[in-house]
Amino acid sequence: MNVSIVPGLRALRPAALVGGTLFLGLLVGYWANATWYPGTSPEQPIEFSHRIHAGENEIPCMYCHTQARRSISAGVPSVSKCVGCHKEIATERPQIRKLMSYWQNEEPIPWIKVHDLPDFVHFTHKRHVSAYARAAGIECQTCHGPVETMDRIRVTSRAIDGSFQLDTPWEMGLCLNCHRQHQVEHGTDCWTCHK
Amino acid sequence: MSLLDRFTDGWRKYRKPGYYEEFDYHWAMTIDLDKCTGCEACVTACQAENNLPIVGEKAFAEGREMKWIRIERYWEGEYPDVKLRFIPMLCQQCDSAPCETVCPVSATYHNQDGLNTQIYNRCIGTRSCAVYCPYEVRYFNWNDHQWDAPLEQQLNPDVTVREKGVMEKCTFCIQRIRQAKDHAKDDGRRRVRDGEVQPACVQTCPANALVFGDRKDPNSQVSRSMNDPRAYRVLEELNTDPSVVYLKKVDAKG
Amino acid sequence: MPNIERRDFLKLVGAGSVGVGAGFYLRESIKHPMEHLIPHVVAPEDFSTGIDTWYNTVCSMCAAGCGISVRTREGRVKKIEGNPSHPVSQGRLCALGQAGPQVLYNPDRLTGPLMQTGERGSGAFAQITWDEGLSKVADRLDLLRAAERGNRVCLLSQGVRGHLAQLFERFVDQLGSERLLHYDFDHPHTLYAANQRFFGEQRLPYYDLKNTRYLLSFGADYLGSWISPVHHSLGFGHSRQGRPDVRGRFVQIEPRMSLSGAAADEWIAARPGTEGLLALAVAHHILSKGYYQGADRADWIAVLAGYTTTEVAAQTGVPAETIVRLADAFAQTQPSLAIGGGSAGNHSNGVDTLVAVNALNYLVGNLGKAGGLVFNPEPAGPTTHPHQASYRTMLEFVEDARRGNIEVLIVNGTNPVFTLPSAAGFAEALAEIPLIVSLSSFLDETTALADVILPSHTYLESWGDDFPEPGVGFPVGAVSQPVASPLYDTRATGDIILGLAQRLDMNDVLPWSSMEDCIKDGWRQIHERGGGDVRTESFESFWRAVLTAGVWGEETHRESTFTLDKSVIAGIGVQAPEFSGASDDYPFILHPYLSTTLHDGRAANLPWLQELPDPMTSVVYGSWVEMNPVTAKGLGLTEGDLVDIESPHGRIRAPVYVYPAIMPDVIAMPIGQGHAEYGRYARNRGVNPIEILSPQMEPQTGSLASSATRVKITATGRRAELVKTGGNSRDLGRNIVQTTGAGQHSANLNSIPITVIPS
Repeated sequence: MNVSIVPGLRALRPAALVGGTLFLGLLVGYWANATWYPGTSPEQPIEFSHRIHAGENEIPCMYCHTQARRSISAGVPSVSKCVGCHKEIATERPQIRKLMSYWQNEEPIPWIKVHDLPDFVHFTHKRHVSAYARAAGIECQTCHGPVETMDRIRVTSRAIDGSFQLDTPWEMGLCLNCHRQHQVEHGTDCWTCHK
Repeated sequence: MSLLDRFTDGWRKYRKPGYYEEFDYHWAMTIDLDKCTGCEACVTACQAENNLPIVGEKAFAEGREMKWIRIERYWEGEYPDVKLRFIPMLCQQCDSAPCETVCPVSATYHNQDGLNTQIYNRCIGTRSCAVYCPYEVRYFNWNDHQWDAPLEQQLNPDVTVREKGVMEKCTFCIQRIRQAKDHAKDDGRRRVRDGEVQPACVQTCPANALVFGDRKDPNSQVSRSMNDPRAYRVLEELNTDPSVVYLKKVDAKG
Repeated sequence: MPNIERRDFLKLVGAGSVGVGAGFYLRESIKHPMEHLIPHVVAPEDFSTGIDTWYNTVCSMCAAGCGISVRTREGRVKKIEGNPSHPVSQGRLCALGQAGPQVLYNPDRLTGPLMQTGERGSGAFAQITWDEGLSKVADRLDLLRAAERGNRVCLLSQGVRGHLAQLFERFVDQLGSERLLHYDFDHPHTLYAANQRFFGEQRLPYYDLKNTRYLLSFGADYLGSWISPVHHSLGFGHSRQGRPDVRGRFVQIEPRMSLSGAAADEWIAARPGTEGLLALAVAHHILSKGYYQGADRADWIAVLAGYTTTEVAAQTGVPAETIVRLADAFAQTQPSLAIGGGSAGNHSNGVDTLVAVNALNYLVGNLGKAGGLVFNPEPAGPTTHPHQASYRTMLEFVEDARRGNIEVLIVNGTNPVFTLPSAAGFAEALAEIPLIVSLSSFLDETTALADVILPSHTYLESWGDDFPEPGVGFPVGAVSQPVASPLYDTRATGDIILGLAQRLDMNDVLPWSSMEDCIKDGWRQIHERGGGDVRTESFESFWRAVLTAGVWGEETHRESTFTLDKSVIAGIGVQAPEFSGASDDYPFILHPYLSTTLHDGRAANLPWLQELPDPMTSVVYGSWVEMNPVTAKGLGLTEGDLVDIESPHGRIRAPVYVYPAIMPDVIAMPIGQGHAEYGRYARNRGVNPIEILSPQMEPQTGSLASSATRVKITATGRRAELVKTGGNSRDLGRNIVQTTGAGQHSANLNSIPITVIPS
């Protein structure tokens, strides 16, 4: 006896075609979202440019992010800090007017967080910007990427070879590679970074 | 070298006598049962410090309470010659911990400070460690826990809020140890001073029954306390080599 | 290319579109949620992101007045520890104090002023503004004052000390009222009265547990709930294992083993209310053995003649040999200390009992010396005691209210609807009061009956100060400062009173614009008076120093030259206790005790403490009734059997807990549960034993003889599961808690310096 499943399959062909198209669409939709709306460089309430501040004007990072050297978090400058300069500088630009409206309304600027770590990770800026870390050649850019070239902050990660990879979020490898490279004391013990 | 070989090799290394000698600290605690009044201040202090959830009456009745340190109570004798003995029970941070051998993903292991660690994001919730622990001090998150707003504002930012499916236990307040080491580095010191770091339970104990410190420092309070002739370890016959040492209660009649 | 039919084409387009949409949202849903980084508008001076800020202030969870250090991060309270420089707490804290953040962040807090819109107790409240609320109250007060009926206003508060107490006094005085009452269920009236009679002063002495070698405690659960548990625990730990040469021994005499009974070396069950007889028998033995050789020896012998050990043994149920042994040890181990309180003071003979305990200290020379009973000097600031209302005072108040003599009642923090027996008729009397104002932070049972609620800040948000009573042997003061900005539209209690005062033109007597000003003004006087450990020229630097340290103290101890008045000796004697109800109808004596975790019920709204196992029984989330195993067996009851507990004044129902350390004819119940209001964690949980207490009083003080109620037990045949931690309550040979003989005491050096003079 010779039974063929081909006729049976043939009957399924339209369904397979629809399923295949659905799947293809899924991929396209996923890709489109990841490409055009990656969320790795969100639009901020004020178009603040690190390129102008840190790049062209060479303002040191810790002039504004003052907490970095003494706290776990680098800190975002208070509105008053921005106003401190901008009541004199470039006061007529639309973005600065926006800033001044926040200031006059005594409202904080709802900046959107770009670089984020999971809640189970303990990371302290203090230790990583200490004199010891700087001597080892670790700078803010080592993790945050070439911020001074960015108009809008974008998620950047660093590969083993030192090249920057845009839109790649931080993962544990980034920390571990660096800890290994610099032979950090107990740098690969889980409880050094996990909490 | 296969993964398994690497694993067992590492394991043997940790088990070799004297392995911990080369490291900086070996944290330990003593609990003086002659001072302990059973007041449970330590239990609440731990709950506040380590973001322990409120499980609710129903879950509590099912034996799903979360208390990294608890007071156990044992009655002795019958009325009128009856005594009640308290013993605070927390993770004993065993140097030969049974829980560490069983974890299939090495989410719990022994670190260089003599601490029995629990890495939450690595844990897959097999609960094997809880079965192996003779002290019953590992607690499993059966649910995602809720904090009725605004109670969540009290949560300690230095401690993770654990989610459903994760095992957890006493850490000797690792966040405080970490901070003390950080301060020591800021001051250019190599070591943390004795008494500089205290877990929440030790800090609050109204009777001063708990002592915490580095037993590698022979002059630390905890080292001296461990040399007390009353010192013993709970379930010593199991050779788990705990880092928590109890001092016997003195049994005297008025 | 095959032909595609229109229908198929549409199908494929449809499938493709659905796919694209689904793919898009799939990616969207797994994206990391957007988080904001909210900066300050102007960076605050007192904290930085990611760095802890600590503030020293005062704990207000009970009346002990421990100094605390509060850890805050980004303006939020994270943790409370004891303040190491404060002599009461010395860096330590109890479970209640640890739970403080849950008072501040309690989800059931009142968030702004309210006015009752429906009937009282209906729970229908409408939001009002502070202005409306204060004006409404002030207008009524103004009318009464103008009509010279100010005495129809009553301010009923929990016990407060410091300048808030003074503020209350002046405010009530200005209204022309004499009705300033402080009511607390656990206030030790009988202890104050006994000290007044024996030592002639209205101040408690300092009980020096840390240096004592032998402690006889008559009913005082000094480690669990009596006066200052944290400080007593410190002393206990030090006395036990903090001295190289000696280990202090502790004896506890009470009908039901308390936390202190478990910690003691020996627990002795004496019949309820006979503790004073036992003390006198000990005294009798001390005299007959010649341990006391004072000039008034003959007087003592005469007055104690009736209290021989054999006679008292029969009355107390404690064997004569035990009494003799205790007396010998007490007299021969110096320094020793006898303390009394708790249930021993809550009987019809309470004051006499505690006078007898004082007599013991006198007879063996424990007065005014280290390790004994140290007299406290004058406190540095105002204390509350004169206004503490006894049960009798509350009854008088109830009577006045019934007769319509009270027109405005302002309630602050205290909750008499819960902490007075229903026999007092307090809740019914409230119905006769036209205007009830509550200043509570929570909707407790009393506040639920208020017409206007002007909610207070919690203690972590307010200014205040405290002068611990009893003191620690030298004058101490502490300032309580806000450690977090107010969460809701509430105000500090002092500011509410000042707000009313301003509306009533009391500026000449209450000139301050805020409580902070008032406190500062008070401390300016302390600064001007000089003394103390902070010596600075300007007040501002003094104030900063006190705020930073959280405490201020003077190292002046009182010379103790105590001579006993002869008339006191003549008045010594203890009657047999009286119980309400006949023993045939009501065979058991009810022993209600303050819960170690929930205190008098004030902490029942804190989830941490609801879920904290009771130290003795490990029960959580409910009430239970403790019963001797033999009694339970006789009644055919086992753990979890629901029984009715009935007194001549009411009936409540609770599950049985078989408790190995309680006298067979006594049953015990914890106070704390049984709230009808007070938030989601407290409401409708367990029962309140205060409800069924007989309104029997100690005649001299008029305080409630809360341990003198007889009850009967009826099985209901129903069962209720007691929620408690698992495990066996016996060791079963596992040798988990190991013990050693008394001889083995070594120089365990893990002690801390125990007398902290604040610096």
